[in-house]
Amino acid sequence: MSGGPKKYDAIVVGAGPAGLSAAAELGRAGARTLVLDRDTRPGGQLVKQTHKFFGSEKQRAGTRGVEIARLLREEVAALPAVEMWLNSTVLGFYSDRVITVERVKDAPGEERREWLEKVTAPVFVLATGAAERFLPFPNNDLPGIYGAGAAQTLMNVHGVRPGRRVVMVGAGNIGLIVSYQLLQAGVEVAAIVEAAPVIGGYLVHAAKVRRAGVPILTSHTVKEAHGREALEGVTVWRLDEKWQPVPGTEKYIAADVLCLATGLSPLAELLFQAGCQMAYVPELGGHVPVHGEDLETSVPGVFVAGDVSGVEEASAAMVEGHLAGLGAAARLGLVRDLAAVAAGWRAELASLRAGPSGEKIRRGLAKLAGQTAGMAASSPAGSPVSPASAPAASAPAAPPPATSAPKPGKPGRTLSPQLTSTGEPAASELESSLPPADRRRQGPYAVIECFQEIPCDPCHKACRTGAIGPFPDINLTPAYEAAHCNGCALCVAQCPGLACFVVDENYSPSEALLKLPYEFLPLPAAGHTVDLLDRTGALVGSGRVVRVVRSRSKLATPVVWVTVPSEKVGTVRNIRVPATKGGAAE
Amino acid sequence: MSEGGERDENTIICRCEDISLADIRRLVERGYTTIDEIKRLSRTGMGPCQGKTCRLLLMQELARATGRPPGEVALGTFRPPTKPFKLGLLVGKEGETRDSQDTGGGEDDGGQGGAAR
Repeated sequence: MSGGPKKYDAIVVGAGPAGLSAAAELGRAGARTLVLDRDTRPGGQLVKQTHKFFGSEKQRAGTRGVEIARLLREEVAALPAVEMWLNSTVLGFYSDRVITVERVKDAPGEERREWLEKVTAPVFVLATGAAERFLPFPNNDLPGIYGAGAAQTLMNVHGVRPGRRVVMVGAGNIGLIVSYQLLQAGVEVAAIVEAAPVIGGYLVHAAKVRRAGVPILTSHTVKEAHGREALEGVTVWRLDEKWQPVPGTEKYIAADVLCLATGLSPLAELLFQAGCQMAYVPELGGHVPVHGEDLETSVPGVFVAGDVSGVEEASAAMVEGHLAGLGAAARLGLVRDLAAVAAGWRAELASLRAGPSGEKIRRGLAKLAGQTAGMAASSPAGSPVSPASAPAASAPAAPPPATSAPKPGKPGRTLSPQLTSTGEPAASELESSLPPADRRRQGPYAVIECFQEIPCDPCHKACRTGAIGPFPDINLTPAYEAAHCNGCALCVAQCPGLACFVVDENYSPSEALLKLPYEFLPLPAAGHTVDLLDRTGALVGSGRVVRVVRSRSKLATPVVWVTVPSEKVGTVRNIRVPATKGGAAE
Repeated sequence: MSEGGERDENTIICRCEDISLADIRRLVERGYTTIDEIKRLSRTGMGPCQGKTCRLLLMQELARATGRPPGEVALGTFRPPTKPFKLGLLVGKEGETRDSQDTGGGEDDGGQGGAAR
């Protein structure tokens, strides 16, 4: 023997959104592919993402992450050419392109087995993802201080609440989403603290936590943590415009959990070991492999995809996975016209990154493309490395010129400082989301509080009346024409950002009807009285639940129809089911 | 001790090996300004997580201390294994397959194979 490594056509390291997408392409092309993951179930971080994804249909927008994991898993499982080893950690990537894997079999009722195995292949897709960043501050080793992703794993995978009262550090998408999920799990979120002067995540996510009453403190950071045996509280302080803390602005917040959502850095150890040329690009999360549009690194046959190639959204990771898988399959001679086959995916990726929310990624990729120019000389003949056509360079710096859409949908709109620093839309923004006064009196209409250009289009896909027009560019805000809206609330149930509402001002002489998305348990039932909350989560009255619409579709968000005093219909955007009365309807 | 000093003592850089910011700053004062030097002297980054948490914190601190951009602070060498594992797996134990006994750390991996740390 037999000490020799097992041979495959392709090895994919990491069974997250990127790795599974790559494996699907390789498997479909007929490559004998081995997928390795250290976890006991495939899906990577998708398995704990209970929120709906953004993007377009091709990246399964509107679908919850955990469901995407299941779909990807089934897709790969149906491919006979693909073999998957779970509970299998890659320990090293050696100079002869052999990788060592620590395997564990720990089935219930069987004796636990651990062993090492060597495998090799002519092509690799390294999709190892990213790790959470940590922060240096006094007492940062107290129990109760977690990475936000760790807290999310505790809740959504293991069903364990990390504590009772949380301070979240970081208002990027992870900080915002995990805060929302903590609230869903019944954990209080005392505040979200963000060092930057603006919220980094999608503002629709910010609005969701804000209307649940969570303050977002921008230009603030942690001064220190307090506690004896475990965390008891956190002191935060304000940062000036030069990011320096301002003495005298300290604020103590009692909390037994501090979650750090301060960014991710690529898990690039295997890339370093493989000898890939690396570059430090802060916009992409730190040290990333220099790579071309086909996601091949400087080491021929070693491809990357997902966060390890540059930290981005999972939708981009999946597209990169397809591209890396196709590139690797082409390397094996299993895909003939790579450029043609990959063109669609490349366009998808460019479109995901084209809007204002992709600006940082584009800047990072442009820096990386500078590095790629140096690499092209040493890259093997026939490798389609072409820095000039890297997505960063070809993506438009600004969205295309304005269309004639009458309502939101105009590109390049400026967001109010209030919205970007607190998550609460300014009066002018709310005004712009309303139909003309005469239309408002005519019957139910949708209000779409989606002001930021992010890559997302499920509202258009949901709309049956043509009120929400198609997206010429997926990064535009919805083009909404109230004249065609019948108030059906399909958009309310589909919007991943929970930014659509339906208002009927004529419900009764003194009451309006509000149809709003609601993702908390217990759901109220018709007849129940609920608290009415405004966009900051403040109590502004009480209303009666008229109906709760739960679509058979797994994708849909429950929509609660609730009466609202007429004068408050523009203010109320959330409800709270009182703990003592009203009862639970499961 | 000054307030800053006490704050640094209580600020942990490497959780696995319990190395504080003050420990790092003392090493820097003695002239050690690379990740590899500090790793060898203090075991920073050599614990169970193999530097996944502290390496970037150390990089930032060294950048600050030496006035270099973070990207110019050498990260040090990344060697297998990426995580600790049992030495028994290298020598092979009773009940394991023959494959596993021959796996890992042989000559054919270039001789750098997996000494568990």
